[in-house]
Amino acid sequence: MTSKTFLRNLLRVTILCVIASFVIAPLLATALGGFKTNAEIRTSAFGLPESWNFEFYNAIASDPAFWRYLGNSLLISVLAVILTLLVGAAAAYVFAQIRFFGSRMLFSYLLLGLMFPFATAILPLFIQVRDIGLLDSYWSVILPQTAFGLSLAILLFRTFFEQLPRELFEAAYVDGCGYIRFFWRFTLPLSTPILATVGVFVFVQSWNNFLLPLVMLNSREAFTWPLGMMQFRGEFVTEWNRTLAFVTLTIMPAIVFFLAAQKYIVAGLTGGAVKG
Amino acid sequence: MADVHLRHINKCFGPIEVIPDIELEIPHGSFTVLVGPSGCGKSTLLRMIAGLEKPTSGAIEIGGTDVTGFEPSARGISMVFQSYALYPHMTVAQNIDFGLRLMKMPTSEREERVKDAAKRLHLEPLLDRKPSELSGGQRQRVAIGRSIVRNPKVFLFDEPLSNLDAALRTQMRVELAELHQSIGATMVYVTHDQVEAMTLADQIVVMNAGRIEQVGPPMELYDNPQTEFVAAFIGSPKMNLLPGQAIGRDDIKSVGIRPEHLETHMENGKWAARAGVIENLGSDTVVYMETDDFGSVTVRLPGHHPLRTGDRVFLTPDEKHLHLFGKDGRKIHAKDALSAPAT
Repeated sequence: MTSKTFLRNLLRVTILCVIASFVIAPLLATALGGFKTNAEIRTSAFGLPESWNFEFYNAIASDPAFWRYLGNSLLISVLAVILTLLVGAAAAYVFAQIRFFGSRMLFSYLLLGLMFPFATAILPLFIQVRDIGLLDSYWSVILPQTAFGLSLAILLFRTFFEQLPRELFEAAYVDGCGYIRFFWRFTLPLSTPILATVGVFVFVQSWNNFLLPLVMLNSREAFTWPLGMMQFRGEFVTEWNRTLAFVTLTIMPAIVFFLAAQKYIVAGLTGGAVKG
Repeated sequence: MADVHLRHINKCFGPIEVIPDIELEIPHGSFTVLVGPSGCGKSTLLRMIAGLEKPTSGAIEIGGTDVTGFEPSARGISMVFQSYALYPHMTVAQNIDFGLRLMKMPTSEREERVKDAAKRLHLEPLLDRKPSELSGGQRQRVAIGRSIVRNPKVFLFDEPLSNLDAALRTQMRVELAELHQSIGATMVYVTHDQVEAMTLADQIVVMNAGRIEQVGPPMELYDNPQTEFVAAFIGSPKMNLLPGQAIGRDDIKSVGIRPEHLETHMENGKWAARAGVIENLGSDTVVYMETDDFGSVTVRLPGHHPLRTGDRVFLTPDEKHLHLFGKDGRKIHAKDALSAPAT
């Protein structure tokens, strides 16, 4: 009996290790690549470096442009997260709380956004942003990212909000609390798992987004880190070690953010999974 | 004065009419219990008094003011919910305090009132806890605390004890009765448990299918039920309802006799029966019997009783306590009840 459970556990651990290695290996190769010379990267991509060269990491960390890119990315991502959470939660709150004519149709319309490929929209989006006059500003990246994040946000929020007991609102209503105050004082504080889940999704997506900033941003001052990374890609040579060191340093915040919110993400996703 | 008047209240949910037309008066300071089976419209009625549902037509008056169009917070009411509906992210003190803060009451007065309510409900050591750290009974007390700090004119209770276990329910029932005596405010209480209704109320409203069957003090409903429904609903064990032939009357629908108004004899009597399940409660004995001709009958006998399952007995009803119900389910008055010949 115990040997059977031991075997089953062994199998389980093995499978988990294999899957984890798929995730960790590229990350490790990236982090280690930052210590190697370009020649060494070509010959042994996954091995430990022969000598630990900190110069590439040092060079990037001491380059003010790097911090500038990082700051831009952070600003854009954080604003996109805040905006998505606020607008998405407010919209989902209305869908969850109030029945009104056309609400189902409007909701389905918003969900269509889930099926809309980002790349297809890039040209009309560019023209629209240019006409509004936002080109080359942070908002030209933040607003489209928020808009594309809203479908998923509203879907997950609505499901979660609907599960808040109805009597809670009624009790607060009898106490003199209206819809808007209830949203701030009850719905948002009681929805931290789903807020964290959606927040992480939007943050990571925005942090890693390459296409949109590439199209919208022209001046180096406004570049996000994926654009900044391109400076190591010359016409004839690509400095892989610098690129890898750069990537390692820039994905750090996203990983830290993800780890911090991990507990909530599981709760948020399973919470939303009960009812579709 | 905080009397509640419901005038020609009608409520429809879409095409379904749940309450056709209700007229009800709840006097100032009374403890009125709305009782009835599930789906009879009692909770809907309470929610309309609270302002959580709007009546389709009709008017609601509290203390002489027509509050039909008022927000719940402007009606001078407070409500205790079945699931307590405590705010899970707030402490007990914040839960009790919340309504007062919304009323923009000065801090000193708020603290005073919260302290008062906590003392009255023995919540003082729990003020800093979250609802999830409380037991069922404590949560219920917090919910009551939340409603008394607002000094409402009318307290509304929507099946507040139904989530508690039996022992706690009895205890909370006593506490609620004490609360009513000490505050003296008008209380409206919804339950489907007729024991709660009998013990708490000074006025019971029995509802069935959106209609009021009878309104009156508990003992009047017990001694003098006006319809067959009330007769069967009030009292535990239930009143026996037998076909009219049991007393030789074919012109009536049924005759009711309470279990304690039946006498048993071993040799002779009106109805022959066989004892089935016997429940010894100590103070009295409840025997479920099967009569030869009219189906099952429950008999309550005082104290311990030597009767055993399977014994053959004869039952004789106390004729003063027969309730006759006509074909429409309404009571036929007693003066013509006793003319029936014995069989």
